[in-house]
Amino acid sequence: MDQKDLLFKQIFDSNSKKIFHLCYGYTGDADAANDLLQETFLKVWQNMDKFRQKSLISTWIYRIAVNTCLTYLRSEKRQAKDELTETLIESKTEEYSEKNEQIALLYKSISKLEENDRLIITMVLDELPYNEIAEISGISEGNLRVKIHRIKQKLTELYNQHARL
Amino acid sequence: MQDFENIQSLWQSHSVELKISAAEMLEQAKKEVNAIRSRSLINIGGMVLSFIAISAALIYFNFDSWTTNLGIEIVVLAVAVYTILLYREHRLISRNDFTVHPGAFLGKLHEYQISRFNLYNKLYWFYVAAIAVGFILFFFETLHDLDTWIQVSILLFTVVWMVFCATILRKAFMKKEKERIDLLIEKFERISSQFQEKE
Repeated sequence: MDQKDLLFKQIFDSNSKKIFHLCYGYTGDADAANDLLQETFLKVWQNMDKFRQKSLISTWIYRIAVNTCLTYLRSEKRQAKDELTETLIESKTEEYSEKNEQIALLYKSISKLEENDRLIITMVLDELPYNEIAEISGISEGNLRVKIHRIKQKLTELYNQHARL
Repeated sequence: MQDFENIQSLWQSHSVELKISAAEMLEQAKKEVNAIRSRSLINIGGMVLSFIAISAALIYFNFDSWTTNLGIEIVVLAVAVYTILLYREHRLISRNDFTVHPGAFLGKLHEYQISRFNLYNKLYWFYVAAIAVGFILFFFETLHDLDTWIQVSILLFTVVWMVFCATILRKAFMKKEKERIDLLIEKFERISSQFQEKE
């Protein structure tokens, strides 16, 4: 394995789970999330030489993943998110448990948010520092705090609404 | 009633399983390109086999008429030229590793698509014309002693087969090939454009 391969392996091992979680939160579908994960890391591989250390490498990768998610859904005109979530819920019925049901509800609630909000809240849920989220999403930190507060409220409301049904 | 902190802990308790490792990921990505390369190689392999088989007929059988020899020679030449053209095309996509030089690879992929289109359009008709002339000359001697109805059947079958290859088969092949390359180009362009926007 050469230097580049080794470095890539390290980067992949330390970031892939979080990126997969982000893509999963965005699409609500494990297969689509896998595709997005692959596309994201393919870009990382191809552009590793261009990374200038101006930000954390994780921030750089998140930014690539966010762009990949947004482009993926828009350019491919994929299945609507709701349908995907339904499929996810249906396919998991055999593994029914209260926790699985809650998780499915959470994904369904996330799917009701705006595209950008979905990505932001996923990063918040993964406890990324606000300054990193601001850098990734290109929003000023001040505006981001307001936005996050609003998305948190909206998500909590949606989750509780679905839970009552 | 859940608050956001509960939702967050629920999210974090959901462990995700990755189905792929770094090495597998790169390997899988390379597979798509390799599939096109393999198909191109199979194509070349088939042509080389045809070349060998027809050349062997020329070497091991003694034909009395010059028309038969000339007919086979024309077919052999047409197959050889087409094989060389296919090989030149193959080199366009086999020389670059897309994971190392994505930009250069994308350029070559565009070139490959145009070249492939030309090969199965204008150049294909030259190939068909040469093969047809070759067969006509070949049939002068080989069909001479056969019954008329067998002669007509063989000629009819040859014409129908050539028309089928030149129309239905060629169009279906071109359509499939175009779709495959378009998909790859779209994927690589999406990857490249994201970085162009940022720089």
